Amino acid sequence: MAVEQKQDFEPRILGFLCNWCCYAGADLAGVSRFQYPPNMRVIRVMCSAKVDPTYIMKAFLSGVDGVFIGGCHIGDCHYIKGNYYTRRRIMMVKKVLEVIGIEPERLRLEWVSAAEGAIFAEVMKEFTQQIKELGPSPLRKELQGSKVAK
Amino acid sequence: MKNYNKVIQDIVRSMLEAGLVEEVVAFGQDPASVDILPLFITEPQDAEKVVAISYYPCSLAKLVALYGDKDKKTGMVLRPCDARALVELAKRQQVNLENIYTVGIECYGVVKDRAGNNEIYVFPGDMEIDGESKPLDEDMLAPGCLRCEYPIPTMTDVSFRLEPKGEVSVTANTEKGKEILSAAKISSTEGSPTDISAIKERAARWQEQDFGELMKMEPGERLKYWLSQFDKCIKCYGCRNSCPICYCSDCYLEPGRMLIEGEEMPPEKLFHITRLMHVGDSCVNCGQCEAACPMGIPVSKLYHMLYKELSPLFDYEAGFDLDSLPPVSSIRDEDLLKTGVELD
Repeated sequence: MAVEQKQDFEPRILGFLCNWCCYAGADLAGVSRFQYPPNMRVIRVMCSAKVDPTYIMKAFLSGVDGVFIGGCHIGDCHYIKGNYYTRRRIMMVKKVLEVIGIEPERLRLEWVSAAEGAIFAEVMKEFTQQIKELGPSPLRKELQGSKVAK
Repeated sequence: MKNYNKVIQDIVRSMLEAGLVEEVVAFGQDPASVDILPLFITEPQDAEKVVAISYYPCSLAKLVALYGDKDKKTGMVLRPCDARALVELAKRQQVNLENIYTVGIECYGVVKDRAGNNEIYVFPGDMEIDGESKPLDEDMLAPGCLRCEYPIPTMTDVSFRLEPKGEVSVTANTEKGKEILSAAKISSTEGSPTDISAIKERAARWQEQDFGELMKMEPGERLKYWLSQFDKCIKCYGCRNSCPICYCSDCYLEPGRMLIEGEEMPPEKLFHITRLMHVGDSCVNCGQCEAACPMGIPVSKLYHMLYKELSPLFDYEAGFDLDSLPPVSSIRDEDLLKTGVELD
């Protein structure tokens, strides 16, 4: 029964995609008709380093089950060194999630270039499957009734 | 007992008399009352108010960053956690360490409160209450101090060691420290380094106890625990205001910044999580946040727990080396060679 429920569960994933690489990669995946699960809502940001750790926590507190961040490969950042900062920040946020009691696997950082449409589709499949296995975010249950959880 | 204070008072007085510094920031006891208060001393005769008592009501580093003058030569009498906070503030351009002469007191813990305004000194194995030697009572110490593993202020210019029975030894750690000691006509005692194994053992034991029980929980349970703690918050901003690492003059958590709504109680969970993310990488475990909290939320436990996770991850120790910058807001040369989504 529990397994069935998990299979029925459709995760809500929020994605922050960098305008120059990952967003273009997602675009390419669409244009090339690669199939991938439609669970992610995308927010386009100019650089993955624009993603303040607070945005990630706000997303979790608003009831999403996973957060995906896509940036350029190391060395390819349009702003030279944005993704170096992103990398350190996401490492920190993962530990924050662990310390306060949310599975750090719910947050994923991936480098996807504009040419890697197939890889983008693959990463989406993998991540959605991973969140499905983890089940709904524990915050959804904890914050039920309060005004942030919708 | 007075001997502890006397050596420090001599140093403060001679620093002012020799013109090494224009003012000294230290804790003092006003003769008229028994309260321990932070003092900004400019006159040599006021040096006699300075005390070395094992009690630490607020962060002096924070006070100097807020109200000090960067161009003024300032002396400070500090405990190790505050000396580390001062280094962290210097990394963030909040204080000018070139103009600050620091005198550090070796510290094996401070008491939570001075019930009856006792004169209390804490040593590795015992404590002295109003001149009487007693075995160390861990319940009297502040919770952060029990987890502290840095009793020696190696980052200060001069460091003091208080020993039971009124003994004091003084060591100069830097060139500036030698200047201070020559002005005070005290010779640096190159005694044997303090044995800190007992302190390390205590720190490991309490970290295991405080963090271990939380980390053993299932993630969902841990989340429930912290959310119930955050629900106690009355948004007094005490933790933010007392934290030496929280230095922004325009704080993200103010209602006008569109993150935390005003007039809402308890504040959104993001209040605590944002603070956790902002200070977690450099927390010096001074315990001021927890001491300031009127609702008894164990915030310093939370920040210290994150710091202990991040410290090995980024190979970073807060408050020692001025050249190693906060790990989350700076990148290092070796990062350029790594291409993965994690550094290892």
